[in-house]
Amino acid sequence: MSKIRLKFSKMGMGKYISHLDLLRTFTRAIHRAGLPVRYSQGFNPHQLITFSLPLALGVTSETEFVDIDFEEGTSAVEVVEKLNGSLPPDIRILNASEPKCKANDIVSARYIIKMDLCGLVSKARLQEFFNLNEILAVKKTKRGEKEINLRDYITMYDLKELTENTAKFEVILLAGGENNLKPDILVAKLCEFLGSCATESYEIHRTEIFCKDGEKVKNFY
Amino acid sequence: MNCYKSKFEACLKKVQKPARYIGNEFNSVHKDDFSNLVSFAFCFPDVYEVGMSHLGMKILYQMMNEREDTVCERVFAPWVDMEDELRKNGIPLLSLESHLPVADFDIVGFTLQYEMSYSNVLNMLDLAGIPLKSADRGEGTAFVCAGGPCAYNGEPLADIVDFFILGEGEEVNNEILDAYKVWKAQKGKRVEFLEQISRIQGVYVPAFYDVEYNQDSTIKSITPNREGVPAKIKKRIIKELDNTYILDKMIVPFMDIVHDRMTLEIFRGCIRGCRFCQAGYLYRPVREHSTQKLIDAAQKLIDSTGYEEMSLSSLSTSDFTCLHELIDELLKITVDKRINLSLPSLRVDNFSMELMEKVQTVKKSGLTFAPEAGTQRLRDVINKNVLEEDLLRTSRIAFEGGYNRIKLYFMIGLPTETEEDVKGIAELAQKVIDVFYSIPKEIRRGRSVTVTVSTSSFVPKPFTPFQWEPQNRIETLIEKQKLLKDNIKTKSISYNWHQSHVSFLEAVFAKGDRRLSDVLIAAQQKGCRFDGWDEHFEYEKWLEAFKDCGVDPEFYAYRKIDHAEILPWDHIDIGVKKEYLMKEHDRAYEEVTTPSCREKCMGCGAASFGGGVCFEQNQA
Ligand code: SF4
Repeated sequence: MSKIRLKFSKMGMGKYISHLDLLRTFTRAIHRAGLPVRYSQGFNPHQLITFSLPLALGVTSETEFVDIDFEEGTSAVEVVEKLNGSLPPDIRILNASEPKCKANDIVSARYIIKMDLCGLVSKARLQEFFNLNEILAVKKTKRGEKEINLRDYITMYDLKELTENTAKFEVILLAGGENNLKPDILVAKLCEFLGSCATESYEIHRTEIFCKDGEKVKNFY
Repeated sequence: MNCYKSKFEACLKKVQKPARYIGNEFNSVHKDDFSNLVSFAFCFPDVYEVGMSHLGMKILYQMMNEREDTVCERVFAPWVDMEDELRKNGIPLLSLESHLPVADFDIVGFTLQYEMSYSNVLNMLDLAGIPLKSADRGEGTAFVCAGGPCAYNGEPLADIVDFFILGEGEEVNNEILDAYKVWKAQKGKRVEFLEQISRIQGVYVPAFYDVEYNQDSTIKSITPNREGVPAKIKKRIIKELDNTYILDKMIVPFMDIVHDRMTLEIFRGCIRGCRFCQAGYLYRPVREHSTQKLIDAAQKLIDSTGYEEMSLSSLSTSDFTCLHELIDELLKITVDKRINLSLPSLRVDNFSMELMEKVQTVKKSGLTFAPEAGTQRLRDVINKNVLEEDLLRTSRIAFEGGYNRIKLYFMIGLPTETEEDVKGIAELAQKVIDVFYSIPKEIRRGRSVTVTVSTSSFVPKPFTPFQWEPQNRIETLIEKQKLLKDNIKTKSISYNWHQSHVSFLEAVFAKGDRRLSDVLIAAQQKGCRFDGWDEHFEYEKWLEAFKDCGVDPEFYAYRKIDHAEILPWDHIDIGVKKEYLMKEHDRAYEEVTTPSCREKCMGCGAASFGGGVCFEQNQA
């Protein structure tokens, strides 16, 4: 088996590295590290690299996954060590393993969201938002724009901390394949709901990715 | 530590391409504590993806940061959406690495690559909160300096820039940093620092010179206004390229930039002497790197960047004396790593298909040539020694080798140009097409051929034999563009041209004097910026700015200047003598070409630097 799954984090300003740029970043880091990566066949060969689940621009994460095809016998330990030496500081490889779950089975992801507030917001007010039957928003898809009900995409909400100037909560949102919700859409709607109490300053951080395992849901790895 | 950081981050969520502003790229240099360092903010007055493609900045950035006593951080012009956010939120211009206010740096240095970036220089100073005028900067304010090709006639920025750096920066920048340290330790006055560095060869402090004018607005005199400053400021060059800092490490950006590849600079200067080309005179004499040094640097670049493409950089790749040897050696270290070599600036006359076959291992992209003028007569006038036979022969080789797209670059509005010369462009393009169809179908690739003709408008530049020439009026240029368009009879030729209004302003600022500083300030206040970008260029605002300042732009662009007149840049010495340029100007009118430095030294004056091609014969 030559495919190695790397778990990595994308922190700090690294959250503004777009998906396409991230691919380029890995390609060059692999080059610099001199790792024996495998290439696709065909007219324009490229390194065999696949990310499990794209991360929205502006979101940090401690649980990203990328699968890379190496030549037979490449040591996973060596890959982690060398790549950490050749990746920019905001991207860190956490561990390497054989791919177990399939990216196609990804169903949701957990995020911690921290919002700066500039007015009094009660716990109940926040709960009210997450209890709404309908939170309509426009989502851009490959085929154009469509209106969706965010309610259908939120599977968990848990308030962690509420002070005069910040609200920190956790959500699990549908992710992967067909039903994917970018967390910034949710934040934008919440800001709208809170009106003048909301500010434009917020942080979103991905902490977990889940996939289905028959009827059950488990951590992706 | 940084009070703007969170506000700045909030802006990033609202702009296009936030990766322009994040820094932290691989090989970027971060130094935590600035307190005992000389801090240099290296500003490129254009957007990130343009600025990051520039070689000079990469060299000086790595070089300055190798000094333990110095920190150099990059600054680019924020794109218009980001500028709006910064202004709205009261955030000043910040450096890319530490996101620190540019105004807090000791020295703020701009590189001037093209005249149309001047408004961005002013806009960036304004965003940084640094007074636009040198005279308004008090003790404790950052020093503003500028280098790059446009600094040789930096007069339009004379009231804005505290000092210019003329020529290649590797040595002189270090000398300036050393001087700064001494001056800072002595707690000297602002003017004392400027006086001290004005004694360094290559440093020009415009405030130390007075310019007097005649009744007719021409210049009467340019004289130093204090003791100890040189009457003529001589540029700096690196005599032995191999002995200087050679770039073996480059920042690898996250986002796609204009030239997203390794750059290997093989030589400086040009042996050719095309009479319109400023670079050809500014960078004399030609000096090469040795192949061995280049291979070492290439290997290090490959290891340190991971790039998949390497481009050789110079004014004319094919003039490198050991080009074949260099390419063979480079292929040895690149092919296995799937790295492509690209060779820009190849000349038609010694083009070899074998060379192209060697380097174009994967892609057969189009070929580009620059005959510059449509007829042999005009090519002789401008000393572009390209023969029609060469171009057609090369095209044939290329078509037989599988190419079916060729780009041809020309200039319109060149001195002595006639209708025939303009039509000649269309005819030449047609001849290239005819060559394609004369090749048997079995040999050439594809059924059809495309020739793209691009014309730019001639801009007379300082330090060239054409510096005394007037530019064609905008209306004339437009007529010529139309004439050319009407003479293109086939769909296989596509024609692109440049906006003539931009070329006009380029001529004004290229040949301008220090009376234009006020115009620049007025234009910035009216909102001019990113003039090099069609969508942001506002000609009307510029005209208003000229009018408000009572300056006639046509005086600079459209006047035929007499050889006896004092030019705004006469106190700048690039090595090439004014008398030599006059002689070349005369030869242009006689339609006599001038041989390259390797065929015959014509004694231009650049030998005074004591190195390079001028002494090759003696050494051999
Ligand atoms: S002195 Fe002679 S060889 Fe040297 S740059 Fe001038 S013309 Fe060329």
